[in-house]
Amino acid sequence: MSNERFQVIVVGAGLAGCSAAYRLAKAGYAVLLIERGKAAGAKNVSGGRIYSYALEALMPGEWHDAPLERQVAREMLMLMTDEGAVTVNSLFSQELQAASYTVLRSKLDDWMRKKAEEAGAMVITGVSVTQIIMKGGKACGVLAGDEELEADIVICADGANSLLAAGFAGKVSTETAALGVKMVVGVPEQDIQDRFNLAKGQGAACLMVGGCTKGLAGGGFLYTNKESVSLGIVVDSAALKGSQVRVVDLIEQLPLHPAIAPLVKGGQLLEYSAHLIPEGGIGMLPTLYGDGFMIVGDAAGLVVNSGATVRGMDYAILSGIFAAETAGKSIAAENFSASELKHYEVMLRQQVIKDMKTFKNVHAFMKSTPGLYTTYPEMAESIFKNIFTVDGRPARRISKVILESVRRHCSFWQLIKDSIKGGSAL
Amino acid sequence: MKKLSMDDRLAINKFDSADETPHIIVNCLECKSCTHKACLYACPAERYRLNDMGEVLFDHVGCLECGHCRLVCERLYSSSMGYSWNHPERGRGVIFRQG
Ligand SMILES: Cc1cc2nc3c(=O)[nH]c(=O)nc-3n(C[C@H](O)[C@H](O)[C@H](O)COP(=O)(O)OP(=O)(O)OC[C@H]3O[C@@H](n4cnc5c(N)ncnc54)[C@H](O)[C@@H]3O)c2cc1C
Ligand code: SF4
Ligand code: SF4
Repeated sequence: MSNERFQVIVVGAGLAGCSAAYRLAKAGYAVLLIERGKAAGAKNVSGGRIYSYALEALMPGEWHDAPLERQVAREMLMLMTDEGAVTVNSLFSQELQAASYTVLRSKLDDWMRKKAEEAGAMVITGVSVTQIIMKGGKACGVLAGDEELEADIVICADGANSLLAAGFAGKVSTETAALGVKMVVGVPEQDIQDRFNLAKGQGAACLMVGGCTKGLAGGGFLYTNKESVSLGIVVDSAALKGSQVRVVDLIEQLPLHPAIAPLVKGGQLLEYSAHLIPEGGIGMLPTLYGDGFMIVGDAAGLVVNSGATVRGMDYAILSGIFAAETAGKSIAAENFSASELKHYEVMLRQQVIKDMKTFKNVHAFMKSTPGLYTTYPEMAESIFKNIFTVDGRPARRISKVILESVRRHCSFWQLIKDSIKGGSAL
Repeated sequence: MKKLSMDDRLAINKFDSADETPHIIVNCLECKSCTHKACLYACPAERYRLNDMGEVLFDHVGCLECGHCRLVCERLYSSSMGYSWNHPERGRGVIFRQG
């Protein structure tokens, strides 16, 4: 073992790991943060929109200097068919404490790494941890390259495709994950404001259901950054594997869709990326802690897919804070056993796990309701088309038009069944 | 927005790939007995392709490190003989500048 000894080693400089390291360093503990990428954020991808309450909890006031892109003011939901879309579009004025911002992770994560370092954390990048060293059932350090590094506590923050947490927490699988594929498209700042009808600094968040995943469970997303647009899809991994749909076809067709094309017109591709998303929800929660270790963020599956949005960044930050506080408590007590670290789960239950419970049936509902991705977007489109079509034929009452469209696309019984299922899940 | 081929799309990304030591290893001969070949359609970077003889070829350069092939391929998932999935060493591989 090397001479250097840390109280806590954090593996992974994503939002969860940086948050844990930042808080521990602020509290004066000897903490080492190890990241496999050449820089923090070099391997990380999100949609993404981050809710600022979590940043405020992490570093009150200071997060205002973070490289965030735009404050989300416009929310859009697109029900997409292959050729068209029905879009619900609303403008909100958000209270600052309820605010959300669009982000690009390579910038944000590196800023967070810098904050942790300034607070006193030691950070190594470009080094993969290959093993958590266990002695007598207790985690007591990590193997990084050829070096063994010792610590009282190890915090696993290695993300959705965790190779380390798999050892104790159970591996992520097609049943518990979705694949996200994303393009960042450069669009001039003023064009973004004009196309989405936004003031300077304001951003839009758009979610798409239907055509963009060819009927597979999942959806599309679009977020406006300062001078680019993040555009991508999320598809359930098991559904994709079973369907034999080429995922590349889905992402290639998205910017060509008539409802999306004008929004990214003339845009230049700046980056093409992909990443896993844990989607198992509460039913799939792994072990969250044990003797000498805690698992945080995506590695612990702390993500909510609420039917409309993927939320994992705020939970990554909160879990990092909770793990840091628990580590501090256990260092003070000089007790690193699972019984002491259980405090971490207790804190998670009060906030994060509570949310996951609220949405616990959504994942199952979305997977088992194929109409959500095919029939309903088509129905919505046909209702709108029929209402606004004026072709000289006798006019019909709107209620009649809606009923006809519904009848044409599905049975009332199916509609009622799905809406009862959805009503209780969403 | 212009439509781009996969090669053009990946060329826009920044990579620092280790040419000699692939982080993902598959045994193309063994792949012949795979009934679903899900890697061919589930990889967002089209790193798995069929050659004229119908054999699966894998190229680790250009891999986005998403880990999806590790999930859809049982052999990668269980690290069976001739198959393994690891992160590239020493920070090599893809370098996202946007994220
Ligand atoms: C397409 C997509 C869209 C999303 N949209 C949103 C959104 O709009 N809002 C939202 O809140 N969430 C969203 N999410 C989810 C969100 O991105 C994640 O929940 C969040 O990034 C989790 O943070 P983390 O720190 O736990 O993991 P990560 O950010 O993945 O960080 C893990 C870190 O560990 C490092 N690492 C891994 N293994 C090792 C190792 N062995 N040694 C050293 N380092 C290692 C990695 O390089 C990485 O830096 C989205 C995700 C995707 C993929
Ligand atoms: S899924 Fe795995 S075993 Fe099957 S062809 Fe692809 S790499 Fe080979
Ligand atoms: S990790 Fe992702 S990008 Fe790389 S080969 Fe596997 S599926 Fe393709």
